[in-house]
Amino acid sequence: METIRIYLTLFATSIKARMEYKASFLFYIFAIMTFYIGQIGLLFVLLNRFHQIKGWTMGEMVFLYSLHAFAYGFTNLIFSQLINFDKMVVDGEFDRVLVRPLSPLGQVIFSKFEVSTAAHLIIGFTALYFGTHLAGIEWTLRKILLFPVIVGGGVLIAGGIRLAVTAVAFWTLRNRSLVHTVIFSSKEFINYPVNIYNMGMQFFLTFIFPIAFINFYPAHFFLDRSGEGLLHPALEMGTPIVGIIVFIVSVFTWKVGVNHYQSTGS
Amino acid sequence: MQDNIAIEVKGLRKEFKVSSSGKGFLGKLQALFHRGHKIITAVNDIDFKIRRGEFVGYVGENGAGKSTTIKMLTGILVPTSGTAEVNGIVPYKDRKKNAAKIGVVFGQRTQLWWDLPVRESFDLLRVIFRVSRSDFDRQMAKLEKALGLRPLLEMPVRKLSLGQRMRCDIAASLIHNPPVLFLDEPTIGLDVLAKQSVRNFLSEINRTEGTTIILTTHDMNDIEQLCKRLIILEEGKIIFDGETEFLKQKFVHEKVIEVEFYEDDCVMQGIPGVTVVREQGCKKWLTFDSDGSGIGEVIGTIASQYKIKDISVKEPSVESIIRNIYDNRIKLSTS
Repeated sequence: METIRIYLTLFATSIKARMEYKASFLFYIFAIMTFYIGQIGLLFVLLNRFHQIKGWTMGEMVFLYSLHAFAYGFTNLIFSQLINFDKMVVDGEFDRVLVRPLSPLGQVIFSKFEVSTAAHLIIGFTALYFGTHLAGIEWTLRKILLFPVIVGGGVLIAGGIRLAVTAVAFWTLRNRSLVHTVIFSSKEFINYPVNIYNMGMQFFLTFIFPIAFINFYPAHFFLDRSGEGLLHPALEMGTPIVGIIVFIVSVFTWKVGVNHYQSTGS
Repeated sequence: MQDNIAIEVKGLRKEFKVSSSGKGFLGKLQALFHRGHKIITAVNDIDFKIRRGEFVGYVGENGAGKSTTIKMLTGILVPTSGTAEVNGIVPYKDRKKNAAKIGVVFGQRTQLWWDLPVRESFDLLRVIFRVSRSDFDRQMAKLEKALGLRPLLEMPVRKLSLGQRMRCDIAASLIHNPPVLFLDEPTIGLDVLAKQSVRNFLSEINRTEGTTIILTTHDMNDIEQLCKRLIILEEGKIIFDGETEFLKQKFVHEKVIEVEFYEDDCVMQGIPGVTVVREQGCKKWLTFDSDGSGIGEVIGTIASQYKIKDISVKEPSVESIIRNIYDNRIKLSTS
């Protein structure tokens, strides 16, 4: 409990520090809103063009997108500071994190907050509303209860991948381009149902770089689609387990990385 | 580890892998695919023990391995081999526990939140270090007074001068009243007055709180005024570990006698064992062989033969002694 209180204080301070630059803060919010309004627009344009892809209707794809938006929204909220983490390593700023009696990872995570999350979640809800409506999803109690579990699993997957890629900076120092490729470009893969790709790609997105578990597999359950076309029907409910595995591996990578930290010359 | 030992270091070693890329564009391009590595030994199998309450100067030229040692003792770097214990804790294995019992000041880098008023940084550190409100208030009252912090508390850190920021950083490192304090160049870039106030404060907490202090510095005045013990490092190895006073005694013949003669007696003939190192009109600077006569005899001889207007004896500075050690590679045995 005490530790949680400490982290919340750290978090509150980061907000305060950010508010010191009020104009920049407001401009930032404005920029994010503009970006996401554009994203929603794009989504609808796409949906009007393609009515169906590989047996997925427009509504089903919107639902797919909503799962994706929720998972990335929360991931951005929690792990946003990791995007610029290589700077901390290059500048030796990570030194001071290590001389405080708190988990280094916890300190890095709570050192920044990300308003863009709000926008992500607005998109998530918008897409969820239209997806439900267009695809005719029946929200049983089971589905309602499992929805946050699946989103949570998705956050563990997306966040875990982000963390592992971030930890690479301990060895290579600068890894901005790797972070951007893996975190931002790869997202595009799961804007569409994964079964549009060939078998090799499906295998990759399932077992090697398992982002298909963020939305594609669990969507089958919510949409009451049969799992026949899948590599295995059980994958439908694999998200939380895959999430936990990915996250454990990532935290381990991070911990090895911290011991590899080289700091900078004095 | 015994109770009275604050820090114990055995065979501590740190190697860095440095990638060496070739010259020019082609060399850089080649380095992308095939990187040549070079191993640099920053700290080379050092041993030392520091007792509780000691004030130790840790000096050496740039790149001698001072900061690297401090970083291993604070848990920032993991040693390549060897062991270190601080307060009975292995710093790089048990970082959180270690952090709670040490204070760290890096002269080049602030521990404070750049955009926040100083007071808020202190408040945050109080929470992070789990210091109770009452202990914090007591400690702050002391620090505020000793370091003259009151006018600075409401200012954002980015607006502080270097000297002001350093005072705040030192205060920040002591909020949890740690038994061991590491200071990596705390007086760098400070003016004379600021340096003196920092020194006075450090000397006071060492005396009154019994805080063990390890200080790296390039300023030999810091050493002379504060550190009873001195560890000198060269190329990753300890070349001297002993009392600062011992070092000064050893180099006592480095003492310089400054004599001013009366005009009519300006020409001093050679006195055996005495060398004139510099002269300016009737003022002369002399050194003497330590094995021959003592300083009293030398002065006596001069005074009996010439009319002296003024005479004074200059102590050898620690800086000149250390320079001597570096330059002549003098072998020193510790007392």
